[in-house]
Amino acid sequence: MPALDSLLAAIETSRLATTVGQSIALTGWLSALHLIGMTVVTGGTLVSSLRLLGVLLADEPVTVVTRAAVRGVTIGLVVSLSTGFLLVSPRASAAAHAVFFQTKMALLVMAAAFHFAYYRRVAEGRLGSVWGQRLSGGLALVLWLGVAVAGSAYILLE
Amino acid sequence: MTAVQIAEWLESTSVGLWVRESLWGFSIMVAVHILGLTLSVGTLLWFDLRLLGISMTGSQVSKVYRALMPWFAVGFGVMLVSGGVLLAGFATAAFENTFFRLKMAAVCVAAVNALAYHLMTERRIAHWDHAARPPFPVRLAGLVSIAVWATAILSGRMMSYTMF
Repeated sequence: MPALDSLLAAIETSRLATTVGQSIALTGWLSALHLIGMTVVTGGTLVSSLRLLGVLLADEPVTVVTRAAVRGVTIGLVVSLSTGFLLVSPRASAAAHAVFFQTKMALLVMAAAFHFAYYRRVAEGRLGSVWGQRLSGGLALVLWLGVAVAGSAYILLE
Repeated sequence: MTAVQIAEWLESTSVGLWVRESLWGFSIMVAVHILGLTLSVGTLLWFDLRLLGISMTGSQVSKVYRALMPWFAVGFGVMLVSGGVLLAGFATAAFENTFFRLKMAAVCVAAVNALAYHLMTERRIAHWDHAARPPFPVRLAGLVSIAVWATAILSGRMMSYTMF
């Protein structure tokens, strides 16, 4: 896809990407912040999803357990997305052709779309039967864990 | 034994050799270590936020602790084992690395903070277990925990960019 290749090349040669790519210190800090963002996302997902599944604090009202956790996922996602974009920008073309990166991005899109379109409302008690809550909790766990595993595979194997 | 001798001994063990010389050993152990991190610190964070009076303020502090503790305990176990395996492979470089020392210092402070909370602060939990905003010593324990684990994560990532 020529248009995509041009866009990726433009990103790679941008001043921002060049600055990140030439600085080990900056890359290290961005990577650390990316990992912190990921920890907040997965931890928040675990807490809220396990409550929706009826595994964690099952006798507490759903929103008491999930409200802050879901907001944490949103905050962690903002941190992860911004640092992730900066980290991948110096090698955008190679990343776009890497299988594990493609997998991570596909799962990320699904997880983020599910989070904003449906999961937040379930976790905030605005909709969903008990079974709807459990399915939502299970799906969120699978998607975000998939993102984490695919991301680790990309960094370590490609 | 000196630190150098300990490092060299660790690197000569079968575990150390496996991490350094196998095709996937190092990558798999790093991935396991990171996933252990998300489980441990990822869930502990929500207990720390309860101590700070930010999250799950409608639930008793002790109840949140009992619910989350098994998860972060398993996560810490995974991190400890995988971290030990990784250290065995590259102990000499690790011992000489400033960020490794900072990470270990942060983990020690985290342990002392946890001990201080459980042995001293928690003794008066009956007075604040239901409080949406616990007293200052409790909130401080939560804040210190978040700060030292963030430091450990930062140092851990910087290690990989400065050790090899």
